[in-house]
Amino acid sequence: MSRLALTRADEPMTAARVGIGGPVGSGKTALVERLIPALQTRGIDIAVITNDLVTAEDAERVRRSGLIDPERVSAVEAGACPHTVIREDPTLNIEAADELERRFPGVELILLESGGDNLASTFSRDLTDFWMFVIDVAGGDDIPRKRGPGVIRADLLVINKVDLAPHVGVDLGRMQREATEVRGGRPVLLTNCRRGEGIEAIVDLLEREVLFRK
Amino acid sequence: MLRLHGIMGRADDRAYARQLHALEHRGGIELLFVPPADAGRKRFRLTTDRGTDCAVSLDRDEELVDGALLHLDADRAIIVRFGEQQVWRLKARDDASALKLGWHAGNLHWRVRFEGDHLVVLLDAPIDTYRARIRPLLDAGEVVERDHV
Repeated sequence: MSRLALTRADEPMTAARVGIGGPVGSGKTALVERLIPALQTRGIDIAVITNDLVTAEDAERVRRSGLIDPERVSAVEAGACPHTVIREDPTLNIEAADELERRFPGVELILLESGGDNLASTFSRDLTDFWMFVIDVAGGDDIPRKRGPGVIRADLLVINKVDLAPHVGVDLGRMQREATEVRGGRPVLLTNCRRGEGIEAIVDLLEREVLFRK
Repeated sequence: MLRLHGIMGRADDRAYARQLHALEHRGGIELLFVPPADAGRKRFRLTTDRGTDCAVSLDRDEELVDGALLHLDADRAIIVRFGEQQVWRLKARDDASALKLGWHAGNLHWRVRFEGDHLVVLLDAPIDTYRARIRPLLDAGEVVERDHV
């Protein structure tokens, strides 16, 4: 047998596709706005797709942020329940991601932000390689106990707005423990997107799980 | 970390039979078990049964299959094995019950296939979480569980 390995490991990879879902107002767009500079600082070439119901509101917010070339931000209008275009028929988002890869050769990671949805929202594996679900403490510390598919099945659960916990009567430690328990020990990370806290841990995870840098 | 990109072929391809047979005798076959719910992924990080940390990526038009050969060299082959897909076979008592069951399955976004007059649910979570969703139909005998494998 030849000593040479039979492998395609040197072939160029397409961009990793990372979904961000969660309820309305949990901080998905704020997380995108924090992830963009954190990823760029580590030299990761990125693009963004946002999903809205019938507007391009979130895309315009990200484009105007000055954080990223506006050309690298695409908008998908679901026109229906947001989960329909990230799970049942993700064709629009797949086409948007393919188009970004064509326009920006070398892009390594595409963030796909879902429109705000409910706890049952999940991403199709045809669309994303990794997806995270964002909840926030102000939504109630009973959210993990409700065991919604978004909370249970996401590759990463993000609990945002942790700074608000004492103001809304939430026992953050218990909320995190219960979230970890219902997820069978899979990752749960805490963030305060307004102040940029907890973002680096998410980027660490993405570097390991889908960018294979670690 | 062993970086692997793309599928070289299938473990049962005749072209690889001699090499794989030889490796098998030397304990060089490593199995990478992929949960059925993750079979659609194009990138994932998993550890083989021999402890090799694998970072796997596929082209967007490639589909991971059970038996996919991801790596082959003189000392080692890495082959994908899908974990057993758990299924739950259900039969409705009558037409009215079948309509109710179909309504629930669609509304709950269950992955299903049809086998004659059975609805076969492809499970992505423990079966009790599924049972809980149609408990009234089960308790009333409108839907009967045929098996769970």
